[in-house]
Amino acid sequence: MTAIAENQADVRRESRAPRRSFGHWGLVGWVYLVALLLFAILPMIWMVLTSVKGQFSALQYPPQWIPQNPTLEEYRRLLSPNNDVGQEFIGYLLNSIWVSTATTVLGLLVAVPAAYAFSRFRFPGRQFLFYAVLLRNMFPAVVFLMPLFIMMRWFGLVNTQWSLILTYLTFGLPLSIWLLKGFYDNIPVELERAARIDGASRFKAFVLVVMPLSTPGIIATAIYSFILAWNEYVYALTFVNSKSKLTLPVGLERFFTEYATNWPGLMAASFIMSVPVVVLFLVLQKYFVRALTEGAVKT
Amino acid sequence: MTTATYQVDTRAPRPVRRPRRRSVWAEMRHRWADYMYVLPALAVMMAVIAYPIYYTVFLSFFKTPPSLAMDDKIFVGFENYGRILTNDSFWSTTWNTLIWTFFSTFFAYVLGFGAALVINREFIGRGIARGILLIPYVISAVAAAYVWRWIYHSDFGVLGALLTQLGLADGPVVLLDSVDRVLTALIVVNVWKEFPFAMIMMLAGLQTVPDQLHRAARVDGASAWQRFWHITVPHLKGVTLITVLLLMVTNLGSAFTIPWIMTGGGPVGASHIWITQIYEIAFGRIRFGIASAYSVILFIAIMSLGVVYVRALTGGDERRRQE
Repeated sequence: MTAIAENQADVRRESRAPRRSFGHWGLVGWVYLVALLLFAILPMIWMVLTSVKGQFSALQYPPQWIPQNPTLEEYRRLLSPNNDVGQEFIGYLLNSIWVSTATTVLGLLVAVPAAYAFSRFRFPGRQFLFYAVLLRNMFPAVVFLMPLFIMMRWFGLVNTQWSLILTYLTFGLPLSIWLLKGFYDNIPVELERAARIDGASRFKAFVLVVMPLSTPGIIATAIYSFILAWNEYVYALTFVNSKSKLTLPVGLERFFTEYATNWPGLMAASFIMSVPVVVLFLVLQKYFVRALTEGAVKT
Repeated sequence: MTTATYQVDTRAPRPVRRPRRRSVWAEMRHRWADYMYVLPALAVMMAVIAYPIYYTVFLSFFKTPPSLAMDDKIFVGFENYGRILTNDSFWSTTWNTLIWTFFSTFFAYVLGFGAALVINREFIGRGIARGILLIPYVISAVAAAYVWRWIYHSDFGVLGALLTQLGLADGPVVLLDSVDRVLTALIVVNVWKEFPFAMIMMLAGLQTVPDQLHRAARVDGASAWQRFWHITVPHLKGVTLITVLLLMVTNLGSAFTIPWIMTGGGPVGASHIWITQIYEIAFGRIRFGIASAYSVILFIAIMSLGVVYVRALTGGDERRRQE
């Protein structure tokens, strides 16, 4: 067994090996990679470094490259409900969690059957409808802001979190459907045929056979729509006004204008906002990257 | 098994009757259940796509009062369009939009493609490197905008301090408050945010390039550069087209958060692009009519890109079917 495994590993290594062409191109590549890594990560490092400085030491010139008296004071203040700042911040945090979760759950309920149908069924107009759904991504958010705002007013949804949930639902859908369709395309149809022969209805075959197999796809899609809702800014800025209903990205702005000079606080808040997204993404990177690019490469 | 007897059908073969092609309507009625799966998605999309588009076009022909109740609007025909097109600030904003879209897309693509090429090689820590490079893409644009605003800060910004210490600048480095530099500064942030997207797209594209071709070319004595130019690049045409178009569409129509939080179009409109300008007209000055007309212009620009985009997608589909 191990011999076979090793053999296979050898074969795989061999088939990948030609990529390793060093020499001066290799060196250029390394330098480029390091420079790009620094470009990508240094702003984030500066965010963290600033967030553990005191308000006073953040405003020194030249700046302290390494904080001399690192303190978690700002984090403590933001995350303890015993003071005004913390109370406000935790409120935004909970709002964001609620809006993102609701968007994700509703989005999956709508996207899963649609993606499945686009992947499996051959009804007339399928292609047209698929591209029509995808086209939503082409439309700028700004174009939709005004009419949606007016529509939300008609339905009395302005300044409620439902206005955000409904909106996020729609702009998350296209890519969710695309991602999920990619996963369904990879599940052999034979499995469902077998289930059908055993007497399952089409719907039952879908729920009992296909759904469990596409769990990774569903998780990746869920994470995608969660991140989308978590990070969204324009609609949240426009549709919701009252402090008690704001989500984090817009809440941060309030935080900024009210405590104008508190850069460490703002950086700490930004950091807290970024952590869940970055962690979720990095843990599920593999699924996510695959799903995101599948459509682009295959089509 | 071997003892099984087979009954030979000696009757003349029945003429094969092709199933009659049903009309589209019959086919649709026959497959009505299929539509039930996509119906919820379609209903949601229609409600928030078709109607808003119609309403934006509709509103662009009206003079609207500066209040949110759209009751006493007056029909003015193309006056809104005329007012936009004859306004000087429209052309400077358009110029900014072109620069913003072109350079953001160009550099995001080039950096991302380069990153994909180096990440595509096998080395220790590859997964970590890829993860780090993806961080700018997943992080909230709001957080990114604030961090960069702090980095660019005229008095306490780390970038200015760094440049001064390296002897590249003397005195405070003014970026976001400088009419000449603000757009460049914003484009840098935008590229930082978007290049990972180009990277993952191109990385996926690179992985479809067959190794055999590279090996064969090596045997034939092709240099690394020749292999790259004659094998890798032609394979990546499709992915490149889609990546660049997606980047352009994003930069033209959706990359709102970073410029809005970092400068809000300022100083004195020097960093206004179409989307920030539309937002300001609509929700700053509550001029929905003009903002709608402006949106229609943006919309037409994007739709012309969209045509190319869909064509690229469907063209690829046909290619796959032929294979």
